[in-house]
Amino acid sequence: MSDLQDTARRLLDEGTVQVVIGWEASRLGARPVFVTSTDDCDRLIFDTRCVHNLATFLNPRRVQVAALGKAAVVVKGCDAKAVAGLLREAQFERDAIVTIGVRCGGVVSEPSGLEPPELTSANVAARCPGCDVREPASVDFLVGEAQPEPPVTMSLNERIAELDALSPAERFAFWTGELSRCTQCYACRQACPLCYCERCIVEKSQPQWIETSPHPRGNFAWHLTRAQHLAGRCVGCGECERACPVGIPLGLINRKLQQVVHELYGYTVTDDPAVPAPIGAYATDDTQDFIK
Amino acid sequence: MSKPAKGDMKTDGAQLKTTKATKATKAKPGAKANDAIATVRQRFLLSADALAALVDKLAAAGTPAVAPAWTADGADGATVATATTGTARETEYRSVSGAAELALGERLPRLSLKQYFLPPTEVLFSYRRNGGGEVELTPAPTDFAAQVVLGARPCDTAALPIVDKVMNWDYADELWNARRAATTIFSLACGVEDDSCFCSAVFLDPATAQGADGLLTPVDDGYLVETLSDKGDAFAAAHPESFAALAAGTDKAATEQAERFRAAAGERVAGHLTLDHERLRNWLENHFDDPFWATLGLRCNGCGVCASVCPTCHCFDIVDEPESVGRGVRRRNWDTCQTCVFTLHASGHNPRADQNARYRQRIEHKFHVYPLKFGDVLCTGCGRCSRACPTSQDLAEILAAINAKAAGESAAPDKAGKASKAAKGADAAPTTGADS
Repeated sequence: MSDLQDTARRLLDEGTVQVVIGWEASRLGARPVFVTSTDDCDRLIFDTRCVHNLATFLNPRRVQVAALGKAAVVVKGCDAKAVAGLLREAQFERDAIVTIGVRCGGVVSEPSGLEPPELTSANVAARCPGCDVREPASVDFLVGEAQPEPPVTMSLNERIAELDALSPAERFAFWTGELSRCTQCYACRQACPLCYCERCIVEKSQPQWIETSPHPRGNFAWHLTRAQHLAGRCVGCGECERACPVGIPLGLINRKLQQVVHELYGYTVTDDPAVPAPIGAYATDDTQDFIK
Repeated sequence: MSKPAKGDMKTDGAQLKTTKATKATKAKPGAKANDAIATVRQRFLLSADALAALVDKLAAAGTPAVAPAWTADGADGATVATATTGTARETEYRSVSGAAELALGERLPRLSLKQYFLPPTEVLFSYRRNGGGEVELTPAPTDFAAQVVLGARPCDTAALPIVDKVMNWDYADELWNARRAATTIFSLACGVEDDSCFCSAVFLDPATAQGADGLLTPVDDGYLVETLSDKGDAFAAAHPESFAALAAGTDKAATEQAERFRAAAGERVAGHLTLDHERLRNWLENHFDDPFWATLGLRCNGCGVCASVCPTCHCFDIVDEPESVGRGVRRRNWDTCQTCVFTLHASGHNPRADQNARYRQRIEHKFHVYPLKFGDVLCTGCGRCSRACPTSQDLAEILAAINAKAAGESAAPDKAGKASKAAKGADAAPTTGADS
């Protein structure tokens, strides 16, 4: 029995929580699982296939999950950052959930396979090399062994540098091509732990602020809006890009946003909910004059 | 455009006669009883070189073929795109500008072929206010240029006659029908299934002729081509340099080799999933409030990627878009029952209040309601929904679970008997055909 399974079993047995949100193995690789019985705790795993950001399931608007009762959620570094984001934005009280942190050495880009694959520079998720939260800090329990650093692959920052080196016209052409495939299915939004609005602006039709048609005008409007709304909030978990059925490299947009927010406000996304995000904080040394 | 002639529908919905005798395609319980057997009209040999030359020729003539092709991500110096996804190259259907782009017999294209008949967005009509309260409407043109699809997946072409039925139910959808009429499809018998595939569990097989004007099957020298419709014959006749007559004596050998290829593929996929559709449908009819549903919505993101990639999902939203003062267009855009707002009423009430209800809708519509109404299961077993799901919701696993529940309850005559009677009473329920 692993520490993870033992912890989950204890929490359910004591009645501290009614559901443990974790990962299980399946034919299609690891996937989210909702364990409500101590008998099922041996289904819980954590390995290189556990890519999903489980904080997504804490969105109180996922009523079918909330109906199960108080949840313990298994969090790796990027999940912990998302939980911190939700706490920062007052989506629930800290004691409304229990967090079980797992030490993570990176995950694969796609959670397929019956066995956890060794990480290689070809299969490692783009966000993992250089991750600053191998061991989530603000958790109730911490389980698992420390993991080795994942193999180095071309970093998102290097790819962004490639794009930044292009002329504006070339860069526009690049994004026009990428966004031309968008069908505005909003799978990126649904997979995002920080996209929790009761009603997304794209669904507001009186007036229709964002054109929902997947033509270039509508697609740019949607992706610019999505990016702006996540500036300083995105935790860089990459779930939006993984969810995209047409392979739009949203991770590049998100990382660029993180860079810009860092340059302007000195803010780096963290799993410490006590550190305020620039969007929700007032500082007298704010670089923007209009706010003073 | 009027409803397609009945004869056309029959041909479209057919099973290929030559594969009918193989083990994999033997009539199953409930196999389609109302569909004719497609007759192979002509056989040709299309060598790999001839296919490449044909694709190049069509592109040079300004009438490029639509075909599975490697995604452009990573090409043309845009190395950034594939780098972040980190996955192997993918394929997609698109107009190919040369044979070098072709990805025949590779992994399934990420979106199905339906985008060529129901685009993600399309204009229905444009409007213009002419002053004095007068509004002028101009319908979208339906005179689509002829196009040919080469190497389509049988599970994608098979979807088209199924969706034809709803597109010609209470209203003949001019745009859908016009695109269907303008398109000639040569599908390619599939030999690259994976364990998400289950075409044989939904009355199809990896070489189904349903929806195709011609079928290609890999043989030693390229492809055996079998034409199945007037459109297929016409395309072959228009390109005599590509479609070579089979030399006397080679006809039998090529046909037998093609048979073996199709039979082997059919055997492989048949092992993935077996469903008793009548029993499944009865269970769905009688278990609307079953606790099983409450286990399915939990991991679902409600994103509808399953519907985006599905060859049979056909729901759309309608929006009016002003393009300037006094004029604009009405469009329809892909939509999906998996989103919260799909059924949200103006009052704020939502009859599908949670994701459990929305996921139930997906299963009920495909395997219960559509079969009762139109006689076809609204699924071709392509497995895209399972592969594309960000949270690994597994349709084959769910269907197997319901099938097992239904089998366990088949001894309960009160419920099953009633539902069975209702199903058999439906006008067009070919899944009950073998029994009725």
